[in-house]
Amino acid sequence: MDRRDFIKLSALTAGAAGLAGCGHPDHQLIRFLPEESWIPGVATWRPSLCPLCAAGCGVMARVMEGDAEVVRNGRTGLLRMGLVKKLEGNPAHPVNRGKLCARGQAAVQIVYHPDRIRQPLKRRGERGTGEFEPVDWDEALSTLAARLKQVLDDDPAGLAWLSRPLRGGKRVLVERFLATLAAPAPVYFELFDESVLRWANRLSFGREQMPTYTLSVANYVLGLSADFLGTWNSPVAQAIGYGEFRQGRPGRRGKFVQVEPRVSQTGANADEWIPIRPGTEGALALGLAHVLLNEARRPTTAAGTAGERIEGWLQGLPEWTPEAVAEQTGIEAERIRRLARELIAHEPAVVIAGGAALAQTNGLATALAVNALNALLGCVGALGPVRFTPQPESTGLAPPHRTLRALVQKILSRPESPVKLLLLYEANPVFATPPAWQVAAALDRVPFVVSFGSFLDDTSILADLVLPDHVFLESWMDDVPESGTEPAVVSLAAPAMRPLHNTRAMPDVLLDLSRRVGGRLNEALPWKSYEELLRARFDALARRAGADADAFWKQALERGGWWSDNGGTRAAAPRHAAATTRQIRYQPAEMDGSVEEFPFHFLPYASQAFYDGTTAHLPWLQELPDVLTTAMWGSWVELNPQTAERLGIRQGDLVDVTSRHGTLQAPVILSTGIAPDVVAMPVGQGHRAFTRYASRRGANPISVLAPLEEPETGALAWAATRVQIRRAGVGRLVLFSGGLSRFPHPEER
Amino acid sequence: MSRRWGMVVDLDRCTGCEACVVACRAENNVPTVGETEAARGRAIHWIRIERYWEGEFPNARIRFVPVLCQHCEAAPCEPVCPTYASYHTADGLNAQVYNRCIGTRYCANACPYTVRFFNFFHPVWEKPLHLQLNPEVSVREVGVMEKCTFCVQRIKAAELQAKAEARELRDGDVQPACAQACPADALLFGDLNDPDSRVAQLARSPRGSKLLEEVGTQPKITYLARLSWSGDGEDR
Repeated sequence: MDRRDFIKLSALTAGAAGLAGCGHPDHQLIRFLPEESWIPGVATWRPSLCPLCAAGCGVMARVMEGDAEVVRNGRTGLLRMGLVKKLEGNPAHPVNRGKLCARGQAAVQIVYHPDRIRQPLKRRGERGTGEFEPVDWDEALSTLAARLKQVLDDDPAGLAWLSRPLRGGKRVLVERFLATLAAPAPVYFELFDESVLRWANRLSFGREQMPTYTLSVANYVLGLSADFLGTWNSPVAQAIGYGEFRQGRPGRRGKFVQVEPRVSQTGANADEWIPIRPGTEGALALGLAHVLLNEARRPTTAAGTAGERIEGWLQGLPEWTPEAVAEQTGIEAERIRRLARELIAHEPAVVIAGGAALAQTNGLATALAVNALNALLGCVGALGPVRFTPQPESTGLAPPHRTLRALVQKILSRPESPVKLLLLYEANPVFATPPAWQVAAALDRVPFVVSFGSFLDDTSILADLVLPDHVFLESWMDDVPESGTEPAVVSLAAPAMRPLHNTRAMPDVLLDLSRRVGGRLNEALPWKSYEELLRARFDALARRAGADADAFWKQALERGGWWSDNGGTRAAAPRHAAATTRQIRYQPAEMDGSVEEFPFHFLPYASQAFYDGTTAHLPWLQELPDVLTTAMWGSWVELNPQTAERLGIRQGDLVDVTSRHGTLQAPVILSTGIAPDVVAMPVGQGHRAFTRYASRRGANPISVLAPLEEPETGALAWAATRVQIRRAGVGRLVLFSGGLSRFPHPEER
Repeated sequence: MSRRWGMVVDLDRCTGCEACVVACRAENNVPTVGETEAARGRAIHWIRIERYWEGEFPNARIRFVPVLCQHCEAAPCEPVCPTYASYHTADGLNAQVYNRCIGTRYCANACPYTVRFFNFFHPVWEKPLHLQLNPEVSVREVGVMEKCTFCVQRIKAAELQAKAEARELRDGDVQPACAQACPADALLFGDLNDPDSRVAQLARSPRGSKLLEEVGTQPKITYLARLSWSGDGEDR
């Protein structure tokens, strides 16, 4: 066959295929009239907000026209519409200033995920089997309204709201919705909740919020288990500051020391990594303070209220000699003295404690000790590296972990659950709580569970009714970042694109529900849509700023929010905390399991790709090689090579990790960056259900955690479990091959 | 004077956050291959973060190095290509012409940086993930090589924009996706032929060196060394 024949034949077969296609309804998509006009190939940029963590970064969505397969009035067809192609940081946004992290970059895949819920669903099969059938919105909302009325007639205490912590307009709406119905306050839950640090900041500085670390003004950073360049607090803002701290100030390169039992991505950047016994970070802070108070003769009063909170502070912390601290922490006394001297020699210096350091039964005492140390170093305030972003609204929340546990206990307290209707929004507690909390068992007892989720995950698979929310790029968005910015920020964004599927925004569904239920709700929630609610909030802001409401709203929509440009409301100094005589005594951290039976300390950590597991369904992040191990598409356990040799375990071997509360299996990766008595594992995999990409993939470290808590805030001490490990066979690791065999530079200067 | 695109990677700023890795995938329609194929070493990453572990516990030390195509002046990938699919553009890019490529993979074997990737199978975006695809970047078919282009589509767009506005391209007009995302500003892109461009200035830094300089590829990416702390003599 020559080329000419080949082309003829190809044309024929292609034509035949085309004709055959006409017979199949699948290939006969009609075109819907476009609702908006687009110039082909020309991109428009629209502001939106990243919903993936509490940092609240502003994004710019690149929107271009494209043909999407959509369902309208029950018919499938093609619609030419604006589609978001890429997310970049919003250059004007004060938190992330044009930058974005890996998770934020991948967030666009949420919109186009093949397993997104495309229309309301009601349960068909047994609960938890994931068998649902489509139902139209009107029927779904009538069902829910009828259920709600019934509960309200019976006893409003039978209504429960469970979601991740909310901010801004959504928080106002949900809390007012529940308060008007005389229902219990909302239950907020997220695994890496920072209530310990917030509470400590309230006690030390009178501000119940996360701090803003302005690293660009620091000369010395001492990190205590805080992954502040990866997953903790406001990582993009902190990484921007870190770049400046290292190389943005000619002739002045900051020094960075990280103290943690396992080198994190953040710790890998430190000039010096110091392993520490888990849960003793607070002791180190007190030891450093001891040296400052006694050897450097800093006055005890220099730390203000923050110091007074600590038992023994005013006496100069006599018990906390470097020798005594060395015994607890495993760090030599001389090294502690040197660190203390360095902190003074390189002011402004800042100590950052977070993550596993505070996820201990003594987490609050640790946070208070670090606060006092920072106050003593004089780094807290309007000009120091530790600042507090002014908050237009109260940031205090009832301690989330405690309120979730109370809800579970309430449900399980009686044979018949007193909670009759549970509304679930963007929280996955079945995945993210230790088994002893019995969240799944409790939810199973609730007669009617409604989820607003966009995906079926470990928790929302238990729902009886699913009312899928728009995803962030299709929604009106607002947020009030708590940290990471100096000026006060109220972010705002209109939808960047039209909804792809037959979904409805959760706030609009609540407003619709209020109209259906009527009565007091109608008066309490007068807004027709969430857009109207946001407009009302911004009008109030405009009045306070003395600005014209229309211009104010328009400018906020164009920029991606409101923030003060002048120095007027810059990050403020601490308020004087309420005077008190109550002092906190530092206690050693309690660990679950005896050293003899469970010789290893188990350290789960927020994963670079999945954070707490909420982004495990995105294929880009599944295939992102972990920066320290290159592992993809699975779980792993990190083990020190000396330990592994002693136990006869090699890289890639499958091991059983057993605590008093459960066992999990995962392959081993050997790492010289972990203490010999510590076993670390990233959080994020091991979902029972979470789309085709994450379901039943890897193992979930939370499933073996002990239910220990920090007693004052009730926060889960997720780094306080001890485990044993045993070889269980040969495992499977997917590592990214490729790369250069040795460090490509002759010498580091 | 013609342009010569290049990059500076400041290893003292890089935090290993991998924002660049995902940003590149999002911009350039780089396919994911799934667990099974990834396990066979077929995952594609135009940019990756390498890590080098040194020392034993407790003195372990890790260094991150972002590695992407070095856009070499004397690129070993170019002369080995029998179909001239990999070639050198006038502004100094190592380009890959996908519809010339017949998949001999000679270029990948010749590249000392292992930044060229072969499409072992037809790339898949499970519907409707394909709606995210960037219309300005071709999707590579089975049997062709692909690699970092320095986001040539962004270069071309910026040049057109400058032309439309009847002005010269300014320093900073072009940012590849990786550099735009990088929170710590570790990646900087620009014209090495413009002595005043930030990239040209930084490329002259005493901290600068090239990756595998000794093999004679003349890379256009300069790596600025990560420093050890040297302060008042109290350091280790």
